[in-house]
Amino acid sequence: MTSWKEQLGDRVPEQLAGEVDLFEGQIELKKQGKLDDKIFAETRLRRGVYGQRYDNGLRDDGTGQKPLAFPCGDLTKGPDTVWDAPGMMRIKIPFGKLSADQLDVLSELAEENSDSILHVTTRQDIQLHFIHIEEAPDMMRRLASVGITTREACGNSVRNVTACEYAGVCTTQAFDVTPYADAITKYLLGHPDVQDFGRKFKIAFSGCEDNPCGLVTFHDLGAVAHVRDGKRGFRVVVGGGLGAVPVQAKVLDEFCPEEELLPLAQAVSRVFARLGEKQSRARARIKFLVQKVGIDEFKRLVAEERAGLRPDPRWTAFLDDLHSTDEKPVREAGPLPANASPAFTRWAEHNLKPQAQDGYYVAIVKMPLGDFTSDQGRALASLAREYTGDAIRCTVEQNLAFRWLSGADAVAFYERLSALSLAEAGAGTISDMTSCPGTDTCKLGISASRGVTGELRKRLSLVQDELDPAVQALRMKASGCFNSCGQHHAADIGFTGVSRQVGGRKVPHFNIVLGGQWTENAKSYGLVVGAVPSKNIPKAVDLITAHYLEQREGEESFQAFIARVGKKEFRKVLAPIQKPPAYEDDPSYYSDWGDPREYNIGDIGIGECAGEIVPFVEFGLQEAEQQLHDAQDALEAGDAAAAASGGFKAMVTAAKALIRHLEVQVTDDANDVVGNFKTHLYDTQLFHDPFAKGKFANYLLKMHGDKSYEDANEEIAHRALDEAQLFLEAAHGCYQRLTEAAAAAAE
Amino acid sequence: MEPTKFQVKLYTKSGDVELEKLVPVFHEWIRSKKIADELLIDVADYAHVPQGPGVVLIGHQSDYYLDLADDRPGLLYSRKRGFDGDFQGGVDDAFRRALEACKLLEAESGLDFEFATDEVLFRVQDRLNAPNADATYEAYKPALEKAASTYFGGSASLERVGGPREPFAVRISTGSQGTVDEALARA
Repeated sequence: MTSWKEQLGDRVPEQLAGEVDLFEGQIELKKQGKLDDKIFAETRLRRGVYGQRYDNGLRDDGTGQKPLAFPCGDLTKGPDTVWDAPGMMRIKIPFGKLSADQLDVLSELAEENSDSILHVTTRQDIQLHFIHIEEAPDMMRRLASVGITTREACGNSVRNVTACEYAGVCTTQAFDVTPYADAITKYLLGHPDVQDFGRKFKIAFSGCEDNPCGLVTFHDLGAVAHVRDGKRGFRVVVGGGLGAVPVQAKVLDEFCPEEELLPLAQAVSRVFARLGEKQSRARARIKFLVQKVGIDEFKRLVAEERAGLRPDPRWTAFLDDLHSTDEKPVREAGPLPANASPAFTRWAEHNLKPQAQDGYYVAIVKMPLGDFTSDQGRALASLAREYTGDAIRCTVEQNLAFRWLSGADAVAFYERLSALSLAEAGAGTISDMTSCPGTDTCKLGISASRGVTGELRKRLSLVQDELDPAVQALRMKASGCFNSCGQHHAADIGFTGVSRQVGGRKVPHFNIVLGGQWTENAKSYGLVVGAVPSKNIPKAVDLITAHYLEQREGEESFQAFIARVGKKEFRKVLAPIQKPPAYEDDPSYYSDWGDPREYNIGDIGIGECAGEIVPFVEFGLQEAEQQLHDAQDALEAGDAAAAASGGFKAMVTAAKALIRHLEVQVTDDANDVVGNFKTHLYDTQLFHDPFAKGKFANYLLKMHGDKSYEDANEEIAHRALDEAQLFLEAAHGCYQRLTEAAAAAAE
Repeated sequence: MEPTKFQVKLYTKSGDVELEKLVPVFHEWIRSKKIADELLIDVADYAHVPQGPGVVLIGHQSDYYLDLADDRPGLLYSRKRGFDGDFQGGVDDAFRRALEACKLLEAESGLDFEFATDEVLFRVQDRLNAPNADATYEAYKPALEKAASTYFGGSASLERVGGPREPFAVRISTGSQGTVDEALARA
């Protein structure tokens, strides 16, 4: 028997081969107990080897949390992460571009090392689940042999660089952004200036302002192609992000000439690495830095940093051959057939888009929940070889785009897809839903985003053709938690998983977010209108769409409709389905879609999304941020009482998180939380701000005492929210001090 | 030859399966440690994927799929980690575990599963050690014939299927009309 290392030989580029060898060596050192858990965790994360749900060796089987007796014993691959527990590999596919050979290898790995499923993510990666860490090095070698690296796919690094899947063939682009995305990918991969971030950093490109494909506004760094006076450049934005508190990116440079793009990105990276938050991961994304210093100061810092950069020939070398990423069609262009079947015509309506190049089309192959099988992957690779060449792109809507399909071949291509059961019509419509993994595999999942999405897909597939075109055109997206990987903020109808306590039991819910804008690069985010039990989400969609059709004015868009009627009205629409029945009347509400176990959130683990570790306290602080955000929305909508109570609730949540951080047992009851807060954080002065002393803590104690949040008017609500905001800031500060003190004590 | 990553699929007699009914069954198998000598971890539901892996009971040593590939439902046993025996023992073990899982499913009330024993798909998910090539077939053929004879009696006919990009696969026509119970009893 040989090994993959020997078998592949010099087909693995030397540098990648060395990196994989090093990682394999680190695996051995860890097994021998010679590497620290945290260091090894960050090491594997930076190579795309991620944790997965239950990898702490515990799983609730519906009757309580039970140990999973993995044979590895005490061996771990990170803090509280069992060595043998299945994990996930995130495979970076820069701007989603795949060749047929790459798709073949990915399909091989999916069936040899995973469960035969390839999952397209919302950031154009491919993920494989249920892999064993010891198989990772050979997987990496096989990927490297076809030009793929998993390096910096996770961890506090520059993640996959995304771009519009139509780049280069689009009818509305200023120019093809592909070579620029390629250049920045290569330049920043492993660059010393991007190794010391406090958090991940995501970059996106778009070929134009109007279409949604690049989604640059919710990225840490976004570049939109423009031509000014015949010269190519980019409008560069910075500090966007989703998560619990979504933020629109701000303009950093209205027109950055193409030769300045890489140095500008490098300068931004250096500022982020130098000044970005490092202790409190909940506030470590660059959006918080931009908010903290203000965009004008941030611009000044970047300009100053840029001025001091040592010139690098790579900044402009790629400009000498901007055609290096061009694709070559394998078939002659041709027109679409005049008399195609109704089935083909129905598919082509949404799944086939004409390219800028006459006679060629982009075919969108709709992947249910982003999933396809190894067999389908191989067959699609064959289709690419035959019809389109190496011109496949993963899309941010979790589909695959096949570019350079001749119109003359479109019917044959469609028929081949049909044989693979992959000719589902309706790409980019209401049935083409996006979902993060949620509780299926993610350690942070709160509700079953894939479960609810699968259920909605099933129902919509039965009625899709009868839906009003205005409803058909809507987009729905689901995230299993506030981290927003499903990009629900930018959907017409978005869902984000939350848990609610009802009659002493937990019930899976989704917050409904309405009116997000997908177009214009996700120009605006939706409004949270309230939480609905998971099992009532299909009813909620029916109610929302029916209300829209009944009440809209003329051809009013969904976004315009939501903006006009406001979320207050939708609260009324949803009110009848917001309360679940008692457990005794209908226990089905107390389990999630696709999971018969009685629901609980005990399986939520320590997330690795942030790179290394996200302590539980940070989830609590993020939840508090979300509650404050909702409360601010409530005030905006004129509901002062809800706003004030929301502000109080946010403070209680933050206080509870800190109390738990001190390993003090505390319930969800506000009296218990405030009592414990006073004993363990106020009386001990641990919460005291170095300058304001107990001032911020008193906001909580006073509000709890005088109940001023009850029946608050607008003035009181405003004050409550201001105080809550300051309390949350103080809570973050307290957490930081506790962390630093613990670190000092450890030394 | 290393006895790892073997897959054995037995097909249901009926082409219609209700996957949603299987999800609670697999969860219950985890809860009750139904397969005593294996660590069962989780259930992956891929009912939304056409011709996909259906519902998968994820284990540490092996996975069990109610697989829908080729639109032919069947129980697919998939060994993932090393087997502590010889090569023939590994093949026999994969056949046995697949049949035992079929037996368990047939016994689940409400599923109405019945598995045929006249056809078995055997695959090796290991292109390094078992490429889909004639040489692999010649190396595996005796062990597969012996395992087929052990569980199904008579002499089976074997056919290597798929191309070089696909995993090594052999379709075994056993000629058996017996039940899963009978197959297990024979061994």
